[in-house]
Amino acid sequence: MRAFAWSVALSLCTLALIGASAPMAAQQVAVEQNDETYGCIICHADKRRAFQQGVHAERGIRCETCHGGDPGAIEIAPAHRGRFLGSPTKFEILNLCSECHSDPNEMRQFGLSADQLAEFRTSRHGQLLLGARDTNAPTCTDCHDAHLIRPVQDARSKSHPLNIPTMCAKCHQDEALMATYGEPTDQYERYRAGAHGKAVFEDRNFAAPTCIGCHGSHAALPPSVRQVTDVCGRCHVAIAQSFYAGPHAQAAGDPERFAGCLACHSNHGTQRVPYEQLDEFCATCHEPESNAYALAQAMEEEVLRARQELHLAEEALYEMAESGKPTDDEEFRMQAAITAFRQLAHAQHSVDLEEAEEYGRQVRSNTGVIRATAEAHAEERWEHGLLLIPVWFLALSAVAFARFKLREVQQEARRSDG
Amino acid sequence: MIRRALTSLRDTVRGVWEDIKSSTDASLLGAARFLGLLYGPIDRRLQIDEAFRKALQYRLPSHVGWRHALGGITYLLFLILVVTGVMLAIFYRPSVEEAYPSVQHIVSSRPFGWLVRDVHHWSANLIVLALLAHMARVFFEAAYKPPRETNWLIGLLLLAVVLAFGATGYLLPWDQWSYWTVTEVMNATAQFPIVGRALADRLMGDVIVSGATLSRFFALHVIVLPWVAFVLLGYHFTLVRRRGIAPPVSDAQEKPRWRKSGLYRPEDEEEEGVPFFPNQLLRSFTVGTLTFAVVITLAVLYPRVFPPPADPAAVPDRLVSTWVPIDVSMALIRFSGPWGLMLFWVLGFSLVLIPLIDRGPDRRLRQRPLAAALGIAFFAGYALLLISGRVLGSFEPSAEIGSRQEEMGAVPARAPIEIPSLDPDGGTPVSEEGAEQ
Repeated sequence: MRAFAWSVALSLCTLALIGASAPMAAQQVAVEQNDETYGCIICHADKRRAFQQGVHAERGIRCETCHGGDPGAIEIAPAHRGRFLGSPTKFEILNLCSECHSDPNEMRQFGLSADQLAEFRTSRHGQLLLGARDTNAPTCTDCHDAHLIRPVQDARSKSHPLNIPTMCAKCHQDEALMATYGEPTDQYERYRAGAHGKAVFEDRNFAAPTCIGCHGSHAALPPSVRQVTDVCGRCHVAIAQSFYAGPHAQAAGDPERFAGCLACHSNHGTQRVPYEQLDEFCATCHEPESNAYALAQAMEEEVLRARQELHLAEEALYEMAESGKPTDDEEFRMQAAITAFRQLAHAQHSVDLEEAEEYGRQVRSNTGVIRATAEAHAEERWEHGLLLIPVWFLALSAVAFARFKLREVQQEARRSDG
Repeated sequence: MIRRALTSLRDTVRGVWEDIKSSTDASLLGAARFLGLLYGPIDRRLQIDEAFRKALQYRLPSHVGWRHALGGITYLLFLILVVTGVMLAIFYRPSVEEAYPSVQHIVSSRPFGWLVRDVHHWSANLIVLALLAHMARVFFEAAYKPPRETNWLIGLLLLAVVLAFGATGYLLPWDQWSYWTVTEVMNATAQFPIVGRALADRLMGDVIVSGATLSRFFALHVIVLPWVAFVLLGYHFTLVRRRGIAPPVSDAQEKPRWRKSGLYRPEDEEEEGVPFFPNQLLRSFTVGTLTFAVVITLAVLYPRVFPPPADPAAVPDRLVSTWVPIDVSMALIRFSGPWGLMLFWVLGFSLVLIPLIDRGPDRRLRQRPLAAALGIAFFAGYALLLISGRVLGSFEPSAEIGSRQEEMGAVPARAPIEIPSLDPDGGTPVSEEGAEQ
């Protein structure tokens, strides 16, 4: 019996030891990096810290993988011997990174594509760097940092959606630099003020595009005018569909005549066309006497009428809610009206007046019911006031009766006194 | 045979009717007599008839005028509140999900529900004014002097009960204004020294105003406070009857028998004053009818607005006051800050102590300057503040509530790490970045 107890105790101790040693295996990598026989860190301690926080240190990639040299040596001369690169140039960096990042077998495990270098060659940045040997153009490390490389999902990464616009702006807002390429520098400001910038920065909506959403990341290039409709249509699917169904799709093929989406909405600023200025926008291309302009005016009238209806219905809804009437049904109708109003945008992009009228009717049929309900309710509330007539009639008669009776009583009392 | 039966039935009915007509001095009370409430088995035990007779023979001093109706108006408004309150309680549901929709249901789907609800709302406003007017009348006529000082204190307790009624009832609609106004009041309560925090926590039953608060306020509003009010009212009325009505200001001399027994016996004043029935009853009837008409008119013309339902996650830009004491506090805080509100409280509380200080026989205002100054400051101040509060109409939620909202939404900030300096002179502590370099 005692022997059995001892064996149980021993096996428990063994289990505990195995359990304790398990985390030590996980710490192996870190221990290796902190190994004092690792020569590079004797001098380059500052780089070590940045590198260790990056994603590459986790995969066992070390200084010599990129820089060459001998990490076993502890003096400068022997350490910098062999296939030693020192600080690689922009061109060398491209080659170094692509050694792994262009290998699909290496990248598969991380779910990364292996086409970054191929894409980079097609980009404006790649054309400048590789074609014109212009070292102002960025290489991998300019956007991803040299040592502190984090995955894009990490909010601290330079290529996280929230950081991309500021990172691009670092060069693209530099007036002196951009002047040499004849590029404007107001993209960042206009982007931030536009619908996309607001969605990203104010609502933290990462479905909205940053710079790379439209221009591509490694293949960064402004889309040509002919391509713009498709770029926008990647997200604005239904609008693009309506646009292609309409007459403007033909014109968009000719960049000289018509700039597709940009013609009305601009590029980085992503402006809305105010409903009141619909005809003015059309008038930039169409003659004021033309049929097209008449169509634009009819369209604008339809939209403004629908919007006016929405405002009135909203007021009616507010009044009802304020007087304590439950408005669930009316709010549902309001949503239907707003949906129909949103769909008017489709009709605007296909320039189909009949479709616009149909949506306008849908708006009005819903708002009409809301307003009628509100009117009936207001009338009912007005009728409450009629209650005051019998109330005051009864009250005043009662008071008059009381005064009359009181006087009678007092006179009687005086008479009996006298 | 049928004819004989019919004749006998008619004779019986006529007999009963003759009985009723001839049996009492007030013929309308025949029905009561018929049921045994008068001259019957019940009356023999409870002596209702005698009590009734006494009440009718009761005589009031001749100086009793319209100004004495204010207390009666307050009581009438209280009764209106009780009746409409019971009607509301039938359909009201005190839960976070159902409170707001149930009030909507009362107002929009029940016949005359809107009237009941707004009459309740307006009576709750007017009762404060009527009560304060009654209090002012008592104060300036020095009716709180012995032997009526107990009744003054009971009256002040009733004022507190009415204010508690309003404060608890204010939350029940569970809309944005009521929710955030109560939050403000709870915050202010928590500021009170020593007991404030504990009191606010007990009242709320949670760290914020929540469903637990709604249940507590509902229980207080419809169960606890009505009983307290009825008991205090009973005591108040008994004392009015026992101690009698205060003599006129000009006639400082209290009749000697008050001093002796402290009891009032109507027989003593057989030939003095005006009989309660019918003279004073007709006056009360007039005043009551007009009060009713005014309340209904206000309810019809100015129904209470429905703000959006309460949302603990969104502070509204402005809170609209819908109750007289909130108007007054709003104006006070706007013009003099929280300390002004505190001072006004102190002033109000000093009125409690007035009968202890001001015990002399003088009843004229000129002969009691301290009381006059206090009273004018309080009552005139209240009226002025009420008017300015009405003009202001709404107030912004206090900065504290807004900042607490921000705190709830934001990531908690970490305190900066201070590294103590190794310098022996004990220089300023350096920041983290400074130490690294």
